[in-house]
Amino acid sequence: MELLILGAVALVLTAVVVVQSYQLRRLRRHEQEMAGQPKPIKVTEPTAAELEAKLKSAYEAQIAASVQVFGEDLKATSGRLGEQVSRLTTTVIEEELSAYQKTLDEVRATATTAMEQIRAAVEQQRVELHQHMEADLAAERQRLVEQFNAKLGDVVASYIAESLGGGVDLGAQMQFIVSSLEAHKDDIKKDLTDGL
Amino acid sequence: MAFELPSSVYSPELLDSVIYELEQYLAWYRQAKVQQKVGARPPAEPSYSAETSQVIKAWLSDKKPSMTAIEELQAHLKSLKLPVVHVTLAALPNHTQRTQLVDWFRALAQHPMLISFVADRTLGGGIVVRTPNRIFDMSWRQRLVEGRSKLGEIVTRV
Repeated sequence: MELLILGAVALVLTAVVVVQSYQLRRLRRHEQEMAGQPKPIKVTEPTAAELEAKLKSAYEAQIAASVQVFGEDLKATSGRLGEQVSRLTTTVIEEELSAYQKTLDEVRATATTAMEQIRAAVEQQRVELHQHMEADLAAERQRLVEQFNAKLGDVVASYIAESLGGGVDLGAQMQFIVSSLEAHKDDIKKDLTDGL
Repeated sequence: MAFELPSSVYSPELLDSVIYELEQYLAWYRQAKVQQKVGARPPAEPSYSAETSQVIKAWLSDKKPSMTAIEELQAHLKSLKLPVVHVTLAALPNHTQRTQLVDWFRALAQHPMLISFVADRTLGGGIVVRTPNRIFDMSWRQRLVEGRSKLGEIVTRV
């Protein structure tokens, strides 16, 4: 907008200069024509020269004044235009920077959220895996221990049975046998009664 | 007076043996009777065990001795449906030990029953009792098997 105004002002001033130049040329031509025609009024040569000089100086003074005014206006307009452009540029840059910053913040927030989710998922998976591994290890350890104990128990039982072999002395065991029977007396009696 | 199986006949095998001897005796008697009628020399009287003798005595306590009574005894013994307790020991018990165990079971049950003795040296010691519906394993082998966890603890401790 400011540029348009500036252009219009320059155009107007150019037009003024052109019009003034045209009028000046026309005035000279008119003077030349008037000089070729019979003059109703006789003006002496010095007077004419003086008038011409006065007109020329007045015209030049007017042109100079106009040029000065135009220059000052142009300078002021240029200054304001510069300020406006500077302000406009600053505002646009600030707005763009703000939008950029906002977008950047949003992207950063999204990325942070995604990273947090990924981190949480990875942590959860790690914990679950750890728990599963610990459970599997404990179960395997328990299985091996039980297997070992069972084997060892069988080995010891077989060893004792084989070692005792035919040398079993029931006489020495009778007290143990009877006390074992006494310990299960009620259950044996109940089953014998029920089994009838 | 109700007939009671003598305590000496405590096992299914002994009962079968008594029934078998009674059958043998009855067969001999019939054959001897026929041979006596035709004038032939009867075969020698078969011998029978002390247990069979005790069973016959118990059966004839209030009856007149006759072959019919023996036949009734044989039929009665065959019809007996007594509960059987199977006792497994690390070795076969001697007479004293058998008597001790039979007396214990009979005192407990308070009704006629039979006891079968079996030896299994892998038991190591103790006794396994199989009643009609249950098994009571009080053998050393079972104790050792039950003590597997203790074995593991001992191994760890040592």
